[in-house]
Amino acid sequence: MPLLLRRAVALVVTLLVVSFLTFCLTSLLPGDPAVQILGPEAATEENVAAVREELRLDDPLLTRYVHWLGDAVTGDLGRSYRTNQPVGEAIAERLPVTLEIGLLALVIALAVAIPLGTLSAFQAGGLLDRVITSTTFGVLAVPSFMMAILLILVFAETLQWLPATGWTRLTEDPVENLRGALLPALSLAMGELAVYTRLLRSDMITTLQQDSITMARAKGLPTRRILFRHALRPSSFSLMTVVGVQIGTIVGGAVIVETLFAVPGVGRLLVDSISQRDLMMVQGVALVIAASVVVVNFTVDLLYSLLDPRIRHGRAATA
Amino acid sequence: MGLRRTRRPRLAARMLWALVAAGLVAAGCGGGGDDDADAAEPTGARTEKSEQGDPVYGGSITVGLEAETNSWLPGEANFANSGITVALAIYDPLMRRDADGVVRPYLAESMEPNDDLTEWTLTLRPGVTFHDGTPLDAQALKTIFDDYLKAPGSNLAADLEDVEEMVIVDDLTVTYRLARPNSAFPDSLTLAAGYPFSPTAAAAAGEDAGAHPVGTGPFVFESWERDSQLVVKKNPNYWQEGLPYLDEIVFRPIPDEDTRVSSLTSGDIDVLQTLRQATVSRVRELDGVDSYEQLGNNTGVNIFNTTAPPLDDIRVRQALALAIDREDVIEVLGGTGLVPPSSQPFGQDDPYFSEAVDEAWQDADPETARELLEEYVNDPNRSDGKAPGEPVSFRYDCPPDPTLNELSQLYQAFWQAIGAEVELRQVEQATHVSEAMAGDYQAKCFRMGVDRDPYPNLKSAFTEGSAANFTRFTHPDVDAALEELAASTDIDERKQLVEEIMLTVNEHYPVTYSGSTLAAVAVREHVKNLDGWTFPDGTPGSGVPGATVMWGHVWTTE
Repeated sequence: MPLLLRRAVALVVTLLVVSFLTFCLTSLLPGDPAVQILGPEAATEENVAAVREELRLDDPLLTRYVHWLGDAVTGDLGRSYRTNQPVGEAIAERLPVTLEIGLLALVIALAVAIPLGTLSAFQAGGLLDRVITSTTFGVLAVPSFMMAILLILVFAETLQWLPATGWTRLTEDPVENLRGALLPALSLAMGELAVYTRLLRSDMITTLQQDSITMARAKGLPTRRILFRHALRPSSFSLMTVVGVQIGTIVGGAVIVETLFAVPGVGRLLVDSISQRDLMMVQGVALVIAASVVVVNFTVDLLYSLLDPRIRHGRAATA
Repeated sequence: MGLRRTRRPRLAARMLWALVAAGLVAAGCGGGGDDDADAAEPTGARTEKSEQGDPVYGGSITVGLEAETNSWLPGEANFANSGITVALAIYDPLMRRDADGVVRPYLAESMEPNDDLTEWTLTLRPGVTFHDGTPLDAQALKTIFDDYLKAPGSNLAADLEDVEEMVIVDDLTVTYRLARPNSAFPDSLTLAAGYPFSPTAAAAAGEDAGAHPVGTGPFVFESWERDSQLVVKKNPNYWQEGLPYLDEIVFRPIPDEDTRVSSLTSGDIDVLQTLRQATVSRVRELDGVDSYEQLGNNTGVNIFNTTAPPLDDIRVRQALALAIDREDVIEVLGGTGLVPPSSQPFGQDDPYFSEAVDEAWQDADPETARELLEEYVNDPNRSDGKAPGEPVSFRYDCPPDPTLNELSQLYQAFWQAIGAEVELRQVEQATHVSEAMAGDYQAKCFRMGVDRDPYPNLKSAFTEGSAANFTRFTHPDVDAALEELAASTDIDERKQLVEEIMLTVNEHYPVTYSGSTLAAVAVREHVKNLDGWTFPDGTPGSGVPGATVMWGHVWTTE
């Protein structure tokens, strides 16, 4: 339990720090939110003053923060300045979309990277390895927005297998939902799978040189069994760490892809809100992103101990 | 506890300065340097459409929009063109422009002024109801006016500032009482202030009214997922017999220009709207696609702060204007062969476009420009307080965008060539607008113009005390002409006055111009009659101004 407790405290502290910093940063942005809301024609001095009063923009920063925090603790993240939609509702609508695309990208990336990385390491220096290496470097060099445009050109415009844009809720029509999610997920996955393949390859090469593997070979175990049963697990630590970090950055990576594919995700919401000085929305989204990053990293830490008995037992012994 | 607010104001869509980021680079995005064959063709709007045939009932179409809209409640909503086109499915405008640019009653039955143009009496058609069954009567109009449009915080309140009150005359008649004569008043009702919405539905929805629009329009709002799609269904009780033709329309905001075009070619969407010149020329080339273009009242401009040295001196502003070659600017913006150079906020097809203003505007004369600038530089009493002989220097701001970066560099080159020192600065959109309003800048890139009567726009752009007078330019002649303009209903006299205003403004160089903007609606061939809408009495309408469509008149053959 101490581990969980420590983590819970860390989570709360992180969220406080993040939300306070976001508050400070958004206050430092030039451009008065009240003026943004009113627009030039309506932004007379009285109108601006009235809106600032309504939004409490004239209160000291700390007062506003404490006020916001008080609401947030009760689950009320306020309403958007721009759309008047409750911030919590907006995030609840969009987060699943971003998560689905991000997770689908992750699954695709891992499903391709694990066999590729393993094969590459097994025949390190061989023809297959060189082909895989140069291909992954090539893919790595293509930014996600470029990949997105290429994918649209091939799969939507030329082959017309998948829609270029459009989003159907999972609950409405799972097949259409998957069709809509595939291209955005693929364009995110391409860059990631290249990184994963490279990582797994180098770790796997080290593992394959260890005595335990030589031992397994000597015992006459089949290659497939050695690679996926004995070598993969100890080789996947770096991969696991990077996957954890990547999950945290799903929202960041989603911004461009969500805009290109016109997908209603949280990344697009964040960018629009920042540019329109929708501080309430920015604040809420930043909080949720921070929370998910912390939770994911915590989960990754737990997974380490599953992967590596030494961590598990080491902790158990000191507890 | 959250913020307790009933409704909140939004960026007014109707202003001379178009402020939306998309609008700012409307003419943008690569594609410059079209080949000579294209350049030889006349610039301006073209409409290429397939055989239209007879109307067909039924079917569903999907429309790709440039942007999402924040809300659908007039007073709260910030209706850019992409928002207006959706609103026109759900709401009916009380007034609308006809093919000749004359404002006529559409949902309203009639609109009559008193003799001195201070009272406008609007009569509604009998028997029209909102989608929720609430009757559209005088009381409904008054509730909307008092409780929403004129309420504190409404973004239409400033626009309706001159309307002192609305008086109910009888069950179907109201009178707008104005503080001063305004011949252009009916024009105010062609946009959001003239989209009646059900007051009962809005009251019931409270803070969420912006997400549940209920109008009288040809289509009934069905559902809205922000940034994804908005669905409307045929209004079976529509007041116009025989309309609409379609059963359903799905509106989808697709902000990226390339993927919006891809979605059209792959068949994900049937219709797209665009204000980007590069997209306009791309969709012209597509097979199986009809394109409806209109040259709107929207032009790229530079604004000069006429109170900030050295730009407070007319010699400097004129020198900078003369240094510019508009054709080069249009090339950078991707509009070569598509759009003509501009000299006023009105496009060539607009009734208020003036040949005289166009001829009077001079540019591409670096010799004269250099002389003017030198005269200022050597003036011992020069306004920037520098010693005679020191070069003029100022800052030019533009939002970060690849096309706008190129644009800024081009202007910098023009002005450096005549001896000015120009510092380029990238300013994010929100800051850009705030600085323009506060007069905290020297020179900025901007866009100018909107499809409505010139009076309210010219008034807000060039009169004392207006928050939208970014250039701080005022002139007694302009004030006088504006007053006359407000008091005149004669179209020829009004054109004359607008011409005088523009001549005076341009003589003082608070702004310089680049090129007009083409707006286009591109449709797959099975979608018909985008621009063929008429008024209930059969008068032909204004087509697809700013790529906005009267959806009730559109049909599909698929």
